[in-house]
Amino acid sequence: MTIELKKDIIQPLTLFFIFLSIIFPHAAYASAGQASHPKLSQQEKLTPCSQCHKEATPEIYKEWYNSVHGIANVKCFQCHGTYENLRTEPDETHCAACHNKQYLKRPKDKRCWACHPAHNFFVHK
Amino acid sequence: MGLSRRDFLKRTAALTAASYIGMNLPISLEGVAQASDADSWHPGTCRLCGSGCRLELGVKNGRAVALRGISKSRTNFGYLCMKGMLFYKLMGNNHPDRLKKPLYRKRKDQPFKEISWDEALDIAAKEFAKAIKKHGNDAVAYYGSGQALTEETYIFQKVMRGGLKTNNVEGNPRLCMASAVGGYITSFGADEPIGSYANFERANCFFIIGSNTAEAHPVLFRRIMRRKMDHRDTVKVINADPRISPTSRIADLDLVFEPGTDLALLNAMAYVIIDEKLYNEDFLKNYSVFRKGKDKKQVSFEEYKKFLSAYTPEKAAQICKGNITADKIRTAARWFATSEGTMSLWTMGINQRKRGVWANNLIHNLHILTGQLCRPGADSFSLTGQPNACGGVREGGGLCHILPAHRLVKKNRLRHEVERLWGIPQGRIPSKPGYHTIAMFEAVNQGKIKAIWINCTSPAQSLPNCDKYRKGMARQDVFMVVTDIFPTRTTELANLILPTAFIFEKTGVYGCTERRSQLTRKAIDAPGDAMPEVWIVRQWALKLSKQLNDPVIKKCVEPFLNKEPDYELPKAIWDEYTQKLTKGRDNDLRGATYEVLEQLPDGVQWPAPTKEFALKGGTDIKFVRGIDPLADEHATNEMPFQFYGPAHPDKKLWVWLRPQKGPEEMPDSEYPFYLSTGRVIDHWHTSSMTGRIPELIRANPYAFVEINPKDAEKLGIRPGDMVEVSSRRGKNILPAKVYVGPCEGMVFVYWHDMKEERMINRVTKDAFDPGSKEPEFKICACRIKKVSGPKPLRPFIVELS
Repeated sequence: MTIELKKDIIQPLTLFFIFLSIIFPHAAYASAGQASHPKLSQQEKLTPCSQCHKEATPEIYKEWYNSVHGIANVKCFQCHGTYENLRTEPDETHCAACHNKQYLKRPKDKRCWACHPAHNFFVHK
Repeated sequence: MGLSRRDFLKRTAALTAASYIGMNLPISLEGVAQASDADSWHPGTCRLCGSGCRLELGVKNGRAVALRGISKSRTNFGYLCMKGMLFYKLMGNNHPDRLKKPLYRKRKDQPFKEISWDEALDIAAKEFAKAIKKHGNDAVAYYGSGQALTEETYIFQKVMRGGLKTNNVEGNPRLCMASAVGGYITSFGADEPIGSYANFERANCFFIIGSNTAEAHPVLFRRIMRRKMDHRDTVKVINADPRISPTSRIADLDLVFEPGTDLALLNAMAYVIIDEKLYNEDFLKNYSVFRKGKDKKQVSFEEYKKFLSAYTPEKAAQICKGNITADKIRTAARWFATSEGTMSLWTMGINQRKRGVWANNLIHNLHILTGQLCRPGADSFSLTGQPNACGGVREGGGLCHILPAHRLVKKNRLRHEVERLWGIPQGRIPSKPGYHTIAMFEAVNQGKIKAIWINCTSPAQSLPNCDKYRKGMARQDVFMVVTDIFPTRTTELANLILPTAFIFEKTGVYGCTERRSQLTRKAIDAPGDAMPEVWIVRQWALKLSKQLNDPVIKKCVEPFLNKEPDYELPKAIWDEYTQKLTKGRDNDLRGATYEVLEQLPDGVQWPAPTKEFALKGGTDIKFVRGIDPLADEHATNEMPFQFYGPAHPDKKLWVWLRPQKGPEEMPDSEYPFYLSTGRVIDHWHTSSMTGRIPELIRANPYAFVEINPKDAEKLGIRPGDMVEVSSRRGKNILPAKVYVGPCEGMVFVYWHDMKEERMINRVTKDAFDPGSKEPEFKICACRIKKVSGPKPLRPFIVELS
């Protein structure tokens, strides 16, 4: 099946953005889940998250790209927010935007990704 | 990588410093609360594509704070795309750019000044009355939108036709759906799809052609993806398009053809179906005839076979080029014909064409030949682009040649029926259709139209070859009213800007792709003095009636007087439309009252003639006895399917003989590339809304030109280089994306960008289909050349001048 074979569809793009990959792994965490992204200029903030994270966090990128979220174009910011409200661990109400029924009936002592591994999603742990 | 890290950082730092002086990226929305803060949730419909996803708006202290999907809705089962999740940021006082006061300027080179509603509507009435008195009734026009509520389109067209005696009523669905309308009417005898989204979970073969469903209809794509992933070996997905797109990720077979050759491809699939005897002989015999030409001459099956002999797979492969081979055509045709249920899906790649109606016919042909209709999983299903192009404009009478409920203007009986239902004198509605969209803006250019009202759309950016038509809109002797929620390229050319309420700030119905009508009730207040369009039109009509001393204009809005604008007024309009106008028509909506719609999570599919039937959800599949009440009512025999569509007196499906025809403008030595355009997932149309949401503008900040790597190599173009894309009409300068998306010889540009040098409709062509009058946005000839290396760019949003 071509789902795995067509990674080249969105790959090549541009050298222009790759430099950001250098700095991303060093994100500092302000509080539980709340992330402080390395400082970027307004211009740099116009780079789609996945462009840099393809280089900075390739395993996560790969997991996402081949997940149902990746195929269905659910993008990083939909769970993690953007620079002003960035969270490494998403606020679960973001999950509820699409998965409200599951969100309401989830075990209250677990986060969503305790059962649905982050960036893979498609199986229960 | 050709640059060292150090060099790259240095280079980028310099670009960055240069680029953001004076930049005003609208990211001042961080104070908007999260979903957990909402203290009430209000059901409604997403307004950012044609899918009709149902969602709930979270409200706290009167402020919109979140959106979430409704799990019980059969349109989206709770899922939303990023646009659907985030557009609460545009509501109420959440966004500082919202238009809040009526704005006026006598001349278009003057600044706007705030005025009262009374003054604004006085001016609008006087200017329209002046144009009519001096130049006649056809000197005024209304240009609406597939994003307007049905109640809005209905009352606008009623006042224009019944009140101002002109059929100059058009809307932007002419730019996206008209060819699909033409295709359904000429092939099936009735507009709009036979089946429903429910077929996504029933189909075993998807034939997607001319549609990047993954980005244009992401939540529907998720359903197709789910179906494919759950049945990897038994469900086949064919994606036919000149461009590899994210939709290709679920495809078993990509058919990449040269732009404009798909009519040959479709005829070749029909050839294989017949040659290999894969057709459904009983279905053909019982329900279809073959026709050709303008006179719709009936021909034999043998003549059809002879016609198809010009489209053997080998011959078609030579025409289509790309990656097309005879074997691929045969494979596609076999999958299509032999699956237990085949669903075709298409959008603008088929519709926005010089021969868009023919292309629609040829898809329908495949379904008629194989009997892939009227049963689970089998459907020929046009995906609509806008949330209410079907419900409001196609059904509500929002185009120059149609009256409400699929009545043709030119049919005396139907026109007089509408006059009678409206209680206005017979003969009040002119018998001649008005200007279609391109003709309307040509008439503006020529000064034939002196006053035009543009509602909820931005033709200054969205018309093909838009520079040509912007000149007309900029004329000082053309009075232009624009109703909208944000400044756009079109408000820049207005005399009068009227601020309107957004969805959830008013009440009304959207009718989505699958004949489904869904109600959204007001949940929060509009900002400032913004008002619902239904109130604006009613008050304007009362003033027009005085200005023109014509009581019939007042008569048009009399049933709606003394109704408060947030619920009673739209309800009264909906009641008139559904109870009077749709009675006895194929889109019978009498059962879909506000009370019924409020009880259901996902509205009602027409036909739904009674409340009892509507409360069960309406009609899932048209024309099937036992499912569609009108199929039983109109039955003329015992057959299970009754094709009662009003346009086919013989009550048959028509297989059309349509030859391959290319685009109006072919590449040549001067302009050697095909240019095509389309959407990206993060943006909606001209980005006047999505461009104001930080997450979305950051995800796709400006338009790119996509270039095939082989072409880029020949021209020395590298990723990020600035490239001039020019045609005989205009040019853009855009950054390059180099990847295997477009086929060789073709470039592709996103059309949402408002920035003057990146507005691709300055380059596209305004040729149009002779039947549907839909323009050929999707294909023209262009040339490309590198003008520089990467340059700093910034997103651009029109601000109030």
